[in-house]
Amino acid sequence: MAKVVLPLEVARTFAAGETEHEFAARDVRELMRQLEQRFPGIRARLERGIAVAIDTEIYQDWFVEPIGPDSEVRFLPAIEGG
Amino acid sequence: MGNEENVGKIIDYSGRQFKQIGTRVVRPDGVEKVTGKANFGADFKANGMIYARTVRSPHAHAKIKKINVDKALKLKGVKAVVTGADFPEIDVNDKAVGEVVVSYYDMAHNTIARDKVYYDGHVVAAVAATSADIAEQAARLIEVEYEVLKPVMTAEAALKKNAPVLHKHLFTQGVEPKPDKPSNLAARSQFKLGDIEAGFGQADVVVERTYTTQTVHQGYIEPHACVASITADGMVNVWCSSQGQFMVRAYVAKICGIEISKVKVTPAEIGGGFGGKTVIYLEPLAVALAKKAGRPVKMVMTRDEVLRATGPTSGGSARVKLGAKRDGTIVAGDMELTYEAGAYPGSPVMLGCMTGFAPYDIKNINAVGWDVVVNRPKAAAYRAPGAPVAAFAVESAVDELAEQLGMDPLELRLKNAAVEGTQAPYGVKFGPIGYKETLEAAKNSPQWKAPLGPNQGRGIASGFWFNIGGTSSAEVMVNEDGTVIVATGNPDIGGSRASMALMAAEVLGIPYERIKPLVADTESVPYSMLTGGSRVTFATGKAVIEAAQDAVNDLRRRAAKIWDVDLEQVEWQDGQAVCIESDKHKPLTIANIAAKADKTGGAISGKANINATGAGPGFGTHICDVEVDPETGHVTVLRYTAIQDVGKAIHPSYVEGQLQGGAVQGIGWALNEEYVYSDDGRLLNTGFLDYRIPVASDLPMIDTVLVEVPNPGHPFGVRGVGETPIVPPLAAVANAVSHAIGKRCADLPLSPVRLLSIIDGK
Amino acid sequence: MSFGGNVSEIQFATPQTVKEAVKCLAGAKGRAKVLAGGTDLLVQLRAGMVRPALIVDIKHIPELSAVKREDGGFRVGAAVSGAELGANKAFRKAWPGVLEGLELIGSTQIQGRASLGGNLCNGSPAADSVPGLIAAGATCKIAGPKGTREAKVEDVVAGPGKTTLKPGEFVVSFFLPKRPKHAGDAYLRMIPRTEMDIAVVGAAVSLEFDAKGVCTDARVSLGAVAPKALLVKAAGKALVGSKLDDDALEAMAAACRAACNPIDDKRGTIEYRTKVAGVLAKRAARIALERAQA
Repeated sequence: MAKVVLPLEVARTFAAGETEHEFAARDVRELMRQLEQRFPGIRARLERGIAVAIDTEIYQDWFVEPIGPDSEVRFLPAIEGG
Repeated sequence: MGNEENVGKIIDYSGRQFKQIGTRVVRPDGVEKVTGKANFGADFKANGMIYARTVRSPHAHAKIKKINVDKALKLKGVKAVVTGADFPEIDVNDKAVGEVVVSYYDMAHNTIARDKVYYDGHVVAAVAATSADIAEQAARLIEVEYEVLKPVMTAEAALKKNAPVLHKHLFTQGVEPKPDKPSNLAARSQFKLGDIEAGFGQADVVVERTYTTQTVHQGYIEPHACVASITADGMVNVWCSSQGQFMVRAYVAKICGIEISKVKVTPAEIGGGFGGKTVIYLEPLAVALAKKAGRPVKMVMTRDEVLRATGPTSGGSARVKLGAKRDGTIVAGDMELTYEAGAYPGSPVMLGCMTGFAPYDIKNINAVGWDVVVNRPKAAAYRAPGAPVAAFAVESAVDELAEQLGMDPLELRLKNAAVEGTQAPYGVKFGPIGYKETLEAAKNSPQWKAPLGPNQGRGIASGFWFNIGGTSSAEVMVNEDGTVIVATGNPDIGGSRASMALMAAEVLGIPYERIKPLVADTESVPYSMLTGGSRVTFATGKAVIEAAQDAVNDLRRRAAKIWDVDLEQVEWQDGQAVCIESDKHKPLTIANIAAKADKTGGAISGKANINATGAGPGFGTHICDVEVDPETGHVTVLRYTAIQDVGKAIHPSYVEGQLQGGAVQGIGWALNEEYVYSDDGRLLNTGFLDYRIPVASDLPMIDTVLVEVPNPGHPFGVRGVGETPIVPPLAAVANAVSHAIGKRCADLPLSPVRLLSIIDGK
Repeated sequence: MSFGGNVSEIQFATPQTVKEAVKCLAGAKGRAKVLAGGTDLLVQLRAGMVRPALIVDIKHIPELSAVKREDGGFRVGAAVSGAELGANKAFRKAWPGVLEGLELIGSTQIQGRASLGGNLCNGSPAADSVPGLIAAGATCKIAGPKGTREAKVEDVVAGPGKTTLKPGEFVVSFFLPKRPKHAGDAYLRMIPRTEMDIAVVGAAVSLEFDAKGVCTDARVSLGAVAPKALLVKAAGKALVGSKLDDDALEAMAAACRAACNPIDDKRGTIEYRTKVAGVLAKRAARIALERAQA
């Protein structure tokens, strides 16, 4: 099961403040489907300016990145820079 | 190398000796730039071109009651006038989805006001005429009737009860319960690790202080400038300097209500951007005027327009609390940041929360950020947006902690340094990083050992920036004579063209001088994300490497055809196709193969369209020595060393240049730069005389040390380098001054006036 | 380049003599501006701060561009550039403080054009060359419709941006008197950067000593601390008769502080300017002393 960590504000709105969850998903697309099932409306919120980190790699434009069985998946704000 | 399986794969070069990477070649734009011939945004001319000037609000906060353009239109030579009414309405919820959330509504209204103005300098109208003089006269004839409103010029004022509210549709995000009244507090964000109460419970020593900084501008020497033209059938051409021609195209299309396919943007050379040119100001105005006038329109900002009305970065305050055990282990960090976003939401306060504690392995962290709108120009990105102010506070706090613990500030940092596997404040674990190595290099630097005299002080500080990857495209085209063109879609703001050519040269095995790198317009290369986020040498470099490898495979295929052998027989070595059975066929140079291109299948090229992942974060450590004149508060920077983990320096001179440039901007931010407003919200220092960026004689040589811990995410080990250098200097300078005068300096800038009152205890 | 108005409407004259220049100015239909180096005028034209009907370029008049010895002193044309005056070895030997002030204006490029006349008549309270001239006891020769007259430099500026020149008058030259033995001058200014900046405080001191090292004459002038540059008589008095010991210098500094009448603005506070005026006057006095003893 992959550990999935939601941003604080999103967790407050959709998951009663609980940031850490477990999901068995083989990639980000499947994870989003499962998240939406458990927390309806969360997908639209996560698709706005949010990046996804899988273990040490941060993906700004995420879609179908693979998730390992022991991966840690974190949602964090997208970063641009100057 | 040498077989089909490697097509499309990245071949790892790390660990190998490079032939051309790491050499200091002459940049392709060098001669033009030093002889004054390079074409920047204001140098472009079009046939029949006319000139435009803007009309800008003199009020910080006001309703627009009426705009009368009749007198202007009657002036001989005037060809067109536009106001907000000439631009399509955009839905207040229209945001760019994907990267950072960009509100098109805010962007469009910032470009030209609709019913309200939100800062001194906010564009209200624009006029185009046959000469700049006439346009200026016409601008003075445009009559605007305002109902002046009370402005709020600081976050403190904006958050007071009964403060005037800037936007009726702005309801604070990130707070529960959701507010039912609009306010100037745009958003709250928070990042947590562990349990800070428990953390502080373990602390033997706690330091806590509030730090403040002022609004500062990116300070690029080249003002914004563009030429726009539109044909009778609606095809738009824009020439401008920017940090991204595709960004300009997208934003122009959106604000003007034109399809993207009808807009072509050609990038000019850029005279500095630093993040401030990742957005647009003049281009939609020029396009709208060109449409009305039926002539190409040129617009160039004056310096005072740049300072009044283009995005500076946020000033703000930072409260930081650090707790440590007696042995120096930092057990908890608490930070609260309040940043001024300017007229529209979107300060980089979240990024400040994410980066402030990043150099340290702290198990218990809490970082809260407040994004507040005020009647100042809308903030734009400035080199590691959000990070410098947070780092100023944290690195000053670490310095104070070292004093209280009786520990050397460098040793305290070494003890708590983030390493591979450390969890960053935003939760993600670091891959291979070189922070500790920068501290070791600082320890061994000549400056660290240099003796200090009376009224002198030394400060050390560290900093971090994520660096990003992103979408980049590259084409490598082989000419009939075997020379090569490398085309990418990223404006060169730091010498990246030379680096692209070096990377292609390394892969192709031909000399750098045989390669011409260029920055293509929006119709000549596939989409590329803008230049920023310290991404170009990394991400666009990766695309160039892949495109070059693709070209190499094409060259191998042609050689195989020429020799009539299988592709597996052909290797590529040092710019030549070599047959494995070497006695059968002599090697073919790239020129040999290129000469036969038509016969072997047509033009030879390679391409790569990627979204680069695997960016490596950059850590830096800076040392600053100052001398303070105790009777006047004047600060002299005696010595400065900037040390950074750069992964792999493709062109060492330009990497060093990034370190020096960021350090200098940070020094200016710390010592003399600040926006000064009148009580009624008008900017008082609208030029470089009174907006004081450092001049060359103000600074010693900025010594640099390049640490190279390769980033495994790039074939040559590249890490982004451009932004990290501006993160440490604020605290490096403030710590140095604090030590020189024996008092903690927590409010920037440390101008002589401010510093003397600290020294005199006022 | 845009001039904030219709360029073709500005008349431009290049008189070859003082008499011709006076005639040009008298015949102006509307506002007339005198052009020496133009380092203030051109900036103001571009910013639309001034819209003259006539510009009179005085650089073609030999007297305006000449540096001559006169009665043991120096007569410096009002349009002589900083670069040119700075290359004059004799002038530098006699008046290093006056030169210091002039040479601080702008940058190397600006120095090729900037002049004492322009710096004085632009009327900025922070003008760098003015305190040095006042401390030197310099006078101006002024030409106008009623003939020529002499005026002390400290009487030429009326207030910020304003001179006491009558309509049609312009400054022709400066006279700096013969320098006795054992004399020295110096100018210091406080700026946040190291160059290319505008004085937050300026202090000029000119000193004369007898053979025993006792100060026989002292003139102290402060810039940027009042609507115009000040001649602080009490500060000079505090030094006369002394050997510039610490007490005398402190009394001088106190007199300087008392004479200050600055404003709070984006460049400095009243408190800061007042305090630093005393600090700089002391430091300038010490340098002037060293030069007098050399």
